[in-house]
Amino acid sequence: MLKLFEHDKLDVNNLKPEQIAIEVKQLNLHFGQKQVLEDVNMAIPKNQVTALIGQSGCGKSSLISCFNRMNDLLHDCEVSGQVIISGQDIYHRKQNVATLRTQVGMVFQKPNPFPMSVFDNVSYGLKLQGVNERRKLDDAVEQALRETGLWTEVRDRLFESALTLSGGQQQRMVIARALALKPEILLLDEPTSALDPLATLHIEELLNQLKAQHTVIIVTHNMQQAARVSDYTAFIHQGKVIEYSDSDSLFTMPKQKRTESYITGRYG
Amino acid sequence: MDKWKFNLAQKQSMITSATAAVAAFLVLVLVALSFFIFIRGGNFFWPQNIHTIVYKRQDETLQTHFVRLDAKTMRVDEELLHFRYSSPEQLFDGQLTLNESNIISSEAAPSVAVVALKNGGSVIAKVTSITDFQGKRVGIEQFAKVTEQIDEYLQTINFVRQGELADIHRGLAAMDKRGVDEDAPARVKLAKRYYQLQDVIENVERKLDGYVLSVEFADNTSYPLFMQNVSEFYYPNEMNVGEKFLFALSAFGSFISDAPKLNNTSGGVFPALFGTIVMVLLMTILVTPFGVLAAVYLYEYAPQNKTTALIRISVNNLAGVPSIVYGVFGLGFFVFVVGESIDNILFGDDLNSTTFGAPGIFWASLTMAILTLPVVIVATEEGLRRVPQSLRDGSYALGATQAETIFKMILPIASPGIMTGVILAIARGAGEVAPLMLVGAVKFAPALPVDTEFPFVHLQRQFMHLGVLIYDGAFHSQNIGNGSSFIFACCLLLLLIVLSLNLIAIFIRNRLRKQYAQN
Repeated sequence: MLKLFEHDKLDVNNLKPEQIAIEVKQLNLHFGQKQVLEDVNMAIPKNQVTALIGQSGCGKSSLISCFNRMNDLLHDCEVSGQVIISGQDIYHRKQNVATLRTQVGMVFQKPNPFPMSVFDNVSYGLKLQGVNERRKLDDAVEQALRETGLWTEVRDRLFESALTLSGGQQQRMVIARALALKPEILLLDEPTSALDPLATLHIEELLNQLKAQHTVIIVTHNMQQAARVSDYTAFIHQGKVIEYSDSDSLFTMPKQKRTESYITGRYG
Repeated sequence: MDKWKFNLAQKQSMITSATAAVAAFLVLVLVALSFFIFIRGGNFFWPQNIHTIVYKRQDETLQTHFVRLDAKTMRVDEELLHFRYSSPEQLFDGQLTLNESNIISSEAAPSVAVVALKNGGSVIAKVTSITDFQGKRVGIEQFAKVTEQIDEYLQTINFVRQGELADIHRGLAAMDKRGVDEDAPARVKLAKRYYQLQDVIENVERKLDGYVLSVEFADNTSYPLFMQNVSEFYYPNEMNVGEKFLFALSAFGSFISDAPKLNNTSGGVFPALFGTIVMVLLMTILVTPFGVLAAVYLYEYAPQNKTTALIRISVNNLAGVPSIVYGVFGLGFFVFVVGESIDNILFGDDLNSTTFGAPGIFWASLTMAILTLPVVIVATEEGLRRVPQSLRDGSYALGATQAETIFKMILPIASPGIMTGVILAIARGAGEVAPLMLVGAVKFAPALPVDTEFPFVHLQRQFMHLGVLIYDGAFHSQNIGNGSSFIFACCLLLLLIVLSLNLIAIFIRNRLRKQYAQN
């Protein structure tokens, strides 16, 4: 397909500091005795969609969980190395984890709407931040829902239970819930694996619009999806980043043999 | 023995029938219990027909009485009938137990009335006439007017006693303290006024004593009742079923709004009803936060290791401790240790009577809260366990701390589970008697725990409780009589209270369930 307005691809292994959203240095992750990530070094570019691919259990979900420290909730989890966001190592002992998670939003595999109204769902994070003014909440909820294209669908049922929405709507609402906090980075952990094709299409279109405002990192099993939505892709195998480059080159001319085997479906 | 071989379908249906039979038996027991309590309790309110019976005494002489049937009981081969009657010797609550064979005749007595007295007793007799204080006969149709007149007199006496007479007493008391001669003229003046007022009262009382309601018993002996002791009279035989039903309803109304009379065998149960409800509500207010916070710690914060498991097992075991043990603990710890320490700190040596160091409603509620704590903890933990991990993750991912996640997300979702615990706690707390008798429930309490006197809620006061009233009644009147139907009426009320408290809690739970339904 001819891409008319394609801009130049950056060289992800040689980014300028102002182009970097997340810089991972020598990251090692252990669950008890088991090493899940080994010497991960990568820089994720700002305002781009980066996909992480690899087979099940390769550590890609664990890697994005490191970016907002959701790993902290699992016991036996040990992290060494650095993850630098906005010039700060988020594993520094002075880092406030709650604040970090407002800056780095996360969306999970299965839609997890809270059993409350749509409005309460989307304003949940803001209320935690102490925003109680009704006008501000109204505006933020509307803006977040507009960003995800959900506003026209749910404007009349803002105060109905979020559980009455369809699966795809729920997932978009969950994304809106994260966007309401205006995070710099949005992490998506297989966001479409529980959805039907049409809902998946909605979300993929959404990702493209989101990168204007946010850095998007998406974990996916689906290589077509990675090729469609992402600007850059990292292939992870057994806890190591095997290959990391712009998606076009990775999917068309993989440099590593293992990458090629994986994307051509020889294993995984 | 091919007869005893069954195919699969037959076995299946036998198992189904067996389980259904057990369930049916359970339903039967429940219905029987409710029915029995309802009939025996309802008997207390229902105006029974009056009969004139002639019966043979053991010395073969014949005796006749106006009677009301209380109950029938079986003894080996004969039926015993328990009646209530009135006579000059046994004015009210006369009890009569007869073999059916001793009764010579029994017929309805339409013109016989039941005269209800203000002290709670009632007299079964013919009402013949009313005499006023001048000895003039007044028709019994003037009853309402005479009652009004008597109420006026009683009010006058009360007004004088509470008003001017009380002032004089206070004045005299103040002078007595000083005890100086210069007070003498004032003292004499007050004393004179005192005797004047006393004369007024005596005058009115003499008039009151003059009003007499004459009644006549079955053997044609006449008996005078002081009108000021009579509250009303009615003819049960002349009422139809509808009228009897209305009468029973109004009797139930006064049962739940009046104070007990005649040593808790008659009258109403308002103080006990009130005490029971206040105690249960206070208990609920105490146990819910305690139980919920403990469960939150055990499930959400505590490391899941052996110590936590041990604590959890201990909590479950606490539910099986006999309730009287909690009563002794409440008395020994809350009343004697905590209460007396509070007394010492607040009042020190100025204390002339124990305030918190004595059994009272707060200690009773606290004891019951400890008793029902395991139920709330177990139910809350179960509720917390049902909140899926994905919702917790969702909350954390939006920048919530653990405390925020627990209080804004998990507890609201777990609230139906918490309500289940509260329902069980209420059911247990409202029915418990043994521990209460040690820590504050009494047969008779002079004042309610909540009233219009500052500070309105008197947590140190002793209180009356329906269960204790039943227990007390069961011990001091074991024969069949008014007392026992009073007990059944109390049982009926206790059942109704537990039922309605439960219904309220279930209603709240269902609303919460709807609000926080997960799919």
